[in-house]
Amino acid sequence: MAVIAPAEAHRPVHDHLKLNRAGLWLFFFSESVLFGLLLTARFYLEGIQREELDQLLGLGITIVLLLSSVTAFTAETAIEHDNRKLANWGLIATIALGVLFAAGVGYEWSIAHFHRDEAFGTLFFTMTGIHASHVISGIGILVLVWVQLLRGRYTSRDHWPIAGAVMYWHFVDVVWVFFYPALYLVN
Amino acid sequence: MHALKSVAGAAGLGMIGFYLGLGFVAVLRAMLGYPDAWGGEINIVGGYVFGLVGWLMGIGMWGIWIREWFGLKTYQRRAPGWQRYFTFNTDHKVIGIQYLVTFIVVFLLAGLLALGMRLELASSGMQFISHSQYNGAMGLHGILMIAVAVAAVIGGAGNYAVPLMIGADDMAFPRLNALTFWLIPPVAVALLATPFLGGIETGWTAYPPLSTTTNSSQILFDLAIITFGLTSILGGLNFIITIIFMRAPGMTWGRLPIFVWSMFVTSWLAIFFTQGFAVALLMILLDRVAGMAFFSAEAGGDPLLYQHVFWFYSHPAVYIMVLPGFGLALEVISHFSRKPLFAYRYAVGAFLGILGLSGVVWAHHMFTSGMPNYLHGPFLVATELISIPTGLIFLSALGTIWMGKLWLQTPMLFAMAVIFNFACGGVTGIFLADVPTDIHLHDTYFVVAHFHYTIVGGEIFALFAGIYYWFPKMTGRMYNETLAKLHFWWMFIGFNLTFFTMHLPGVKGMNRRVADFPESLDNLNMLVSISGWLLGLSFLVFMYNMINAWIRGPVAEANPWRARTLEWQTTSPPPHENFPEQPVIKGHPYDYGVPGSVHGVFPNSGLAGAPSGSAGGGGQ
Amino acid sequence: MQKAMQTGMVVAVILAVLTIVEYVFAVNFDDDTIRFIGLSFAAVGKAALIVYYFMHVYRLWRVEEAH
Ligand SMILES: [Cu+2]
Repeated sequence: MAVIAPAEAHRPVHDHLKLNRAGLWLFFFSESVLFGLLLTARFYLEGIQREELDQLLGLGITIVLLLSSVTAFTAETAIEHDNRKLANWGLIATIALGVLFAAGVGYEWSIAHFHRDEAFGTLFFTMTGIHASHVISGIGILVLVWVQLLRGRYTSRDHWPIAGAVMYWHFVDVVWVFFYPALYLVN
Repeated sequence: MHALKSVAGAAGLGMIGFYLGLGFVAVLRAMLGYPDAWGGEINIVGGYVFGLVGWLMGIGMWGIWIREWFGLKTYQRRAPGWQRYFTFNTDHKVIGIQYLVTFIVVFLLAGLLALGMRLELASSGMQFISHSQYNGAMGLHGILMIAVAVAAVIGGAGNYAVPLMIGADDMAFPRLNALTFWLIPPVAVALLATPFLGGIETGWTAYPPLSTTTNSSQILFDLAIITFGLTSILGGLNFIITIIFMRAPGMTWGRLPIFVWSMFVTSWLAIFFTQGFAVALLMILLDRVAGMAFFSAEAGGDPLLYQHVFWFYSHPAVYIMVLPGFGLALEVISHFSRKPLFAYRYAVGAFLGILGLSGVVWAHHMFTSGMPNYLHGPFLVATELISIPTGLIFLSALGTIWMGKLWLQTPMLFAMAVIFNFACGGVTGIFLADVPTDIHLHDTYFVVAHFHYTIVGGEIFALFAGIYYWFPKMTGRMYNETLAKLHFWWMFIGFNLTFFTMHLPGVKGMNRRVADFPESLDNLNMLVSISGWLLGLSFLVFMYNMINAWIRGPVAEANPWRARTLEWQTTSPPPHENFPEQPVIKGHPYDYGVPGSVHGVFPNSGLAGAPSGSAGGGGQ
Repeated sequence: MQKAMQTGMVVAVILAVLTIVEYVFAVNFDDDTIRFIGLSFAAVGKAALIVYYFMHVYRLWRVEEAH
């Protein structure tokens, strides 16, 4: 086991980018079952019934998350073209908008007039909570990637961490695309 | 002693993390004004999460992986010899053996619990243990064995053999692979700690409302199984990417060994359905620690929701367990019949068919649950449909054996037993899929017997086929064939005696999951108990043979079975990089007796120590 | 870069418009079934746009790197 160096030379060069990307997509595939089951549970227990929610706040945080997806897209496109400055601002904006979204959800929780020990409250807090936990972990990942970007680690040829983090961020947005109407708009 | 330092250090960090987590949640609770800062089950959740992180970082994830996220240089401590099995090693062969050994230990432990239960059930009345102890033993036996069934073949045989069989040097994500193994010890610790919190009273299915009101061991159960689900998902993801992207040149989908095909299909099942178990247990967790109302009917929840979500995973789970077993059995049967695998394409089609059907049959476990009656018909039909692809797998196995030149070594005996046992399990399954018979048989020992015929008879026998088949490859040593055959016949007879007999009290209405039964069933139960102990004792032979052979067995050749697949074309055990050079695939793996056919070749086979250029001739 | 950013912005505008339309439609429409179907279609459409243009799902099966 100690003599491992020659083995490394023998290793065929795999296209790691391809493996990573496909692996991340499979992870999303699996995660979408998690969110899909929560969505199913929502309609199973409550049909399309829902409690009163602050509609403007809901629309507002939805737009915020959509905007953060746009800035994330900007960051990835920028680093693909070696534009580090723009990538930097794109990531900062994404992180800021993400924090804003999480804060919006927190505020929504604090003003909700229903409680978690009734069916709609259970579903609402669980779905937004699990989604928000993904947002928060996404913010964490973006911060780690952003620090590495500041240290000049990424180039147009080598920036998988940014691409992966941004893909994760978009995935979290896709989940909200389904959760938002299911919680706020039906009925 | 690097091994000791590695594991003990990580366990220490895990303990520190556990207490930190307990305290962290307590502080939060105190700040939020809860009266009992230390009293909540949520403290255990915090402790578990922090402990898990501490354990993983300590065992080597920090050094080899997480440092990268912070832009630091990664490092890996290399331990020599056997000690590498106790470190965060990324070699798929090491991980495969780690899985196998771990799960054989778990298997024996869970088997001991079963023997204890059979002791209590040997006659009516209560003899040795209380009802609640019996329930705890039964729940623990159930969930430990489920874990063995899910992970032993996939994690052990799959990890060891798949990269070798497709001509790759390792899995696609080696560090992820190591992570999937090192998540297991915390799972095991949490599950084994459940008796101290009162025991798992709910059985492994954890139905509410009992699971939302029972003792706190349910919390440990939920956390452990969610973690275990994560292992299953990440492992499946790794296999899929490995099989898609890392096949050797020329290894087309039509030339893929059948075991690899079964692992591929299983991995899709695992990454798709496992979330169901995780979500179901998460809901229980939230009901318990956060006061939510998923399953409390008085607040608008519905306990049936749990059964739907749970069985959405747990029916496909039986295919996660049994499909790699089928693949392994077909693999072994072809090599030991010295014949091409019969109806290879149909067998692959059968795996894909099961993949497609497995998601639409779950409610056949719920015919007596009170779900709407109009669901009975569709789920009955869909369930019976599954026997078509399953039948194709039998067709493939029997067609391969037919007119073959059978070489009845131990792996072949076990593989043929898989076919026999699973046929029995399949036939009894029909009675459980049909609504009228199921309403009578539901929740009786008939179900227990059927289930053990499919999973033990179908998968665990295949697991032993795989262990005997690859033992010389894994250890470089050969086991004692006489003892192995003794183990086979002993286990086969013990198994069939136990579980065939168990159908009978079931038909007479003996309820499962109860420590007591009517006196009229005394004789049958005594017979089941004696046969069960007979079955249990057979593993002593197995353990003796394995340990003895690993330490001082005769040195094995590179290819003792004269098999054609790639893992046999390298040394036993294979070097770290698996093959002396990149193999190239020229033909089908099972063309035994087909003149001039080759499977894999090494283009520059002049290398010293490399096996002969053409991998596996005819064998006849 | 210009071109890639332009595509992204157009998609973003479509998504924003869809979100607003979704909201106005849901608030002002009375039939439960039609509202549910309309919202589902809007959600699937939005998700497809994000998955294709933002997450570049086509890179999974396209060999060369898009720059
Ligand atoms: Cu089933």
